[in-house]
Amino acid sequence: MNVNPLLILLTPILANVFAPNLRVLKLASAASGVIDVVLLALIHNMESPGFFLLDRLSWTFALMICCIYLTSTLYSLGYIEIRGKSLISEPLYYVLLNLFTATMLFTVLVNNFGLMWVGLEATTISSALLLTVETTESTLEATWRYIILVSAGITLAFVSVILLYYSFGTLTVTQMGGLETETVKLAVLVGLLGFGTKVGVFPVFTWLPDAHSEAPSPVSAMFSGVLLPSALYIAYRLYEVLPQPLVYTWVGVITALVASLLMVSQTKFKRLFAYSSIENMSIALLGLSVGQVNGALLLLLSHAFGKAGAFYACGELIKSAKTREIREVRGIAWRMKATSTSLLMSSLAVTGAPPFGAFVGEFLIMRSLISKDMILQFSLVLASLVIAFAAVNYHVTSMVFQEGEMKVERVPKVMSLVSMTVSLISLLIGLISLGVMA
Amino acid sequence: MNGEILALMSSLVLVTAFYIQGQAYYRAMVDMQAVQSILIATISSYLAYELHSLDLLLLAFSIVILRAFAITLFLRRGIRRSPWIREGQRGVTSMFALDLTFFSIATLVLYYLVLSRLNLSVEVGNLSTLIFPFALFFQGLFLITSRRSTVAQILGYVEEENALILLGVLLVPIPLLVEASVLLDVLGLVVVSSILTLQKQFHERVEELMG
Repeated sequence: MNVNPLLILLTPILANVFAPNLRVLKLASAASGVIDVVLLALIHNMESPGFFLLDRLSWTFALMICCIYLTSTLYSLGYIEIRGKSLISEPLYYVLLNLFTATMLFTVLVNNFGLMWVGLEATTISSALLLTVETTESTLEATWRYIILVSAGITLAFVSVILLYYSFGTLTVTQMGGLETETVKLAVLVGLLGFGTKVGVFPVFTWLPDAHSEAPSPVSAMFSGVLLPSALYIAYRLYEVLPQPLVYTWVGVITALVASLLMVSQTKFKRLFAYSSIENMSIALLGLSVGQVNGALLLLLSHAFGKAGAFYACGELIKSAKTREIREVRGIAWRMKATSTSLLMSSLAVTGAPPFGAFVGEFLIMRSLISKDMILQFSLVLASLVIAFAAVNYHVTSMVFQEGEMKVERVPKVMSLVSMTVSLISLLIGLISLGVMA
Repeated sequence: MNGEILALMSSLVLVTAFYIQGQAYYRAMVDMQAVQSILIATISSYLAYELHSLDLLLLAFSIVILRAFAITLFLRRGIRRSPWIREGQRGVTSMFALDLTFFSIATLVLYYLVLSRLNLSVEVGNLSTLIFPFALFFQGLFLITSRRSTVAQILGYVEEENALILLGVLLVPIPLLVEASVLLDVLGLVVVSSILTLQKQFHERVEELMG
């Protein structure tokens, strides 16, 4: 079946028509998520590229965005209660969430580097105020850092767009390639640093832990699960123009190492998972730059669901225990069974434990590194994976199993249900991919 | 002659950037940003005349309306409660002196190590004119890193965006659809930022965000 990408793009925007009635807006937002997932699932024949580019790669990213949008909207129904001092109202929250999704879809579906840049910058505009649901000193500071650091970084990416247009005379993604000049090389490298700011590559990831930890959990899930991959998608499309494997792989390796080392000393659980996102994105970047596209996509897909599950579980903890500190959460295995199960499963998923999808993806990427004789890169990434696995799971198991005083309040069941479901999907992705490999 | 006119106008753009860096009063900084945008619009109009390009003329109009007028309006609204307010931190002048050193080094490095090695050519003027947008870009970055106030940091970002427009205009005018979308994007970001300006005017270390 052929589906016009414009239809997929417009669906979340159209949900905003119901903004005057909050109940209808919530339903319409959830329904638009379902419609988009169904539309994408129905696509069998990819259309030839025009204004939009819908191939297997962009299809996978669009599907990821729509799935996490759907689960985040459902989770928001239980999580978001805006009362008192807040910069945004509850209807505005859903309106911005829908616009945020539409801008991400635009970014991964459009067939033009200039408009991809515009789309990515629009994701910042539409998502910045989502961080301020709980308007506190720290959320305002995190929002500001997100706006100014990401925008300043992405501005650099536009230099890359100008250099590409100068070299090729077009910005159409599918019409580029076959030109190996110093200018194109510079465009690709500057683009990595510019778009990499939003991917969260070293050293321009400083905005990421702040924004992820201060955002409401459904928004953190979207940031980590699909916003970072959307930026990574552009960085990869740029890489395809003139591959620079040496720089791309080393940026991936160094980022993975730095992020995993920073994970060890974290004291807040949402910041811990934010650093884990940086590590996962860097390994996906590494996979894409060594030609292991399937492994990278599998990792990204599994990470999207796994990390969404982790942030949803964190949201339940924040809502019921009123804390973000790891040391203040103890023994939730007996107090919050569903939450602890999804937290455990999702942390195993995002740290690449077998049989989750991230394990299969990381295995394929590591195998590619060996086959390309990148032994030093392989060793450093392996060390990063081990450190990240130990850091995340040590902190999570202490929260789940270690005895201690803690008061908890009940949370809406829809939150636990969504959290558990996405963690299970991450497991299912791993089992299916292992079955296919076998 | 053409090259000299372009170089003169581009250097005036840099003068406005230096003024913003050395200025502590927000209102004056915001107004100078409008002057900077008008100068870039003038360069675009001049090139539109030289190259007989309607796109460049439309771009000049868009810059005046969206950047010189709309952005200035939103930024002024952000500081309307206290238009006389100035930068809270000390050492604005010292930072300005540091900036001049940074600027000189960055410009030399960029020209001799990067630009002169790339096989670039421009339709009007000469290659050395391209140094101005890059210098403006670094100047914007420096403004962001050297100040703690929301207004000064937004202005640093707008300066970076102005640098990109100047680069596009001087090197290769990119499609108007993309350029107009970029202008709207920046306007959107400034609107969001001006909402935050009303809530938080200065940025210090927050313990919650450490680690």
